[in-house]
Amino acid sequence: MPVNAPSGPHIGMILLFALCSVAVLGLLMLLPQKIRRPIIRAITFLGGLYAAAEFFLPTYPQPTADNPEAIGNFLTPSVVPFGNFTNAILGWTVGLGVINLCQVHGKRIMKGAAGSFNSVAFFLSLILMTCIGILQKIHPNPLNKNIYDVLFTGALSNLDATMFSIVAFYIVSAAYRAFRIRSVEATLLLVTALIVMLGQISIGQWLTHWLPMTGFWHNIRIESIRSWILEIPNSAATRAIGFGLGIGLLAVALRIWLGLERGSYFDS
Amino acid sequence: MEHANHTALILVPLMSVVIIMMILMARKKQLFIRRIQGLGAIDEAIGRATEMGRPMLCCIGIGGLDVPTLQALAITSYIIKSSARFNTRAIVPVYDPQTYPIVEEAVREAYVSEGRPEQYLADDVRFLSNRQFAFAAATAGIIYREKVAASFLFGLFAAEALIFAETGQQVGAIQVAGTPSTTQIPFFIAACDYVIIGDEFYAASAYLSREPTLLGSMVGQDIAKGILITVILFGAALATFAPVLGKSFGALFNK
Repeated sequence: MPVNAPSGPHIGMILLFALCSVAVLGLLMLLPQKIRRPIIRAITFLGGLYAAAEFFLPTYPQPTADNPEAIGNFLTPSVVPFGNFTNAILGWTVGLGVINLCQVHGKRIMKGAAGSFNSVAFFLSLILMTCIGILQKIHPNPLNKNIYDVLFTGALSNLDATMFSIVAFYIVSAAYRAFRIRSVEATLLLVTALIVMLGQISIGQWLTHWLPMTGFWHNIRIESIRSWILEIPNSAATRAIGFGLGIGLLAVALRIWLGLERGSYFDS
Repeated sequence: MEHANHTALILVPLMSVVIIMMILMARKKQLFIRRIQGLGAIDEAIGRATEMGRPMLCCIGIGGLDVPTLQALAITSYIIKSSARFNTRAIVPVYDPQTYPIVEEAVREAYVSEGRPEQYLADDVRFLSNRQFAFAAATAGIIYREKVAASFLFGLFAAEALIFAETGQQVGAIQVAGTPSTTQIPFFIAACDYVIIGDEFYAASAYLSREPTLLGSMVGQDIAKGILITVILFGAALATFAPVLGKSFGALFNK
């Protein structure tokens, strides 16, 4: 028997845990909102407290088989089980997403709405991919593997790549609008972009190749100007945005953690 | 696992205390906050969609159940509350199945809080796909087919950001975007009408709701930024003058 194969007691534990989770969720849903909210807040607080304590408490060496130089504190070993718990919840929610898709497309077929053939295509794809995915896991023979490869690697991955390649055309049309000279800022943007683009390509670098590679004149070679733009003003602006985002993230995280968040789904 | 270094051990608790103090202060006295043009444009976009009688798109990005997505959802909630008053339809495509039930609940609550529960259509909160470009294709399809009049792109985005923004541009939608994904901000600036940048994204819910607790947190954010700028300037001064001032500074840092 493989080392990690689920044994009898393991499956029993998983089922028991799943049943308990469903019971707890059901109970939460039955509770009036006045009682449900404090419970959810308390769970959120405890979860946040765990993460903060794990991050801030002093660390000491905790060597593992994979990483002999690992450090941590007494909470660190439970980080992975908590992560697995999150993944288990995610598994449940994928089912919710599929149910929503089936509801939306099912209704469309029943109504015979315009474009309902797309909904039929959705159901066919869903059933086909699910069946082949399961078959390939249960009976991993060459036929099943090939069908799976044709559907996943052959079709889906290439469709993904097609969508991604469209971005190239969108970049051109967006750049055209952004670089049109309408104001001082747009002109600055155009000039900067031109220098960066020229500095990136060999033709651009050829334009100033006659300037010496050392001394003052090296600074006005196009690739030097490009590097300066990217490394100094661009990095400074990106870091400034990053600092602001970090503080904003901290503020929102604090509000959620301490139950101070107001509006939308947090409070009425 | 990542653990706090000395800088994080000092700065994070310090900034947290500042933000919490400002939240508590804001409950007692009115605080002033600066105008954010991009957020002011949200009402303009809703008004335009109402006048044109066409739906709006509220996309909360491709993040999972994390803080940026929750923030995006808070903004979306405000947008839907405003649009419900004018009977304007809002379509919310969802990328992550984990967030789907929360988005559905938030959208329904937004309609209920405005006293218009009948306006909520289950089909308008759609889980599309959790594959990035399948989601992009489906959302772009919605923008085209529904000819949305306004497009709100708030949340975490990656390469699909430009697909949404350019498609919206092609159908003539007024577009307001905000993202903490710094690599996507230039694309939004090029293709959208209004963009909120950096920490403005996290200040959005405070700005829109004018809730004292949130306003206090926004002022706290600004003070924390002030602290950070002071530390940076002090560090830059030390780095600049250390060679001039001799070994005493080096000894200070080597201890």
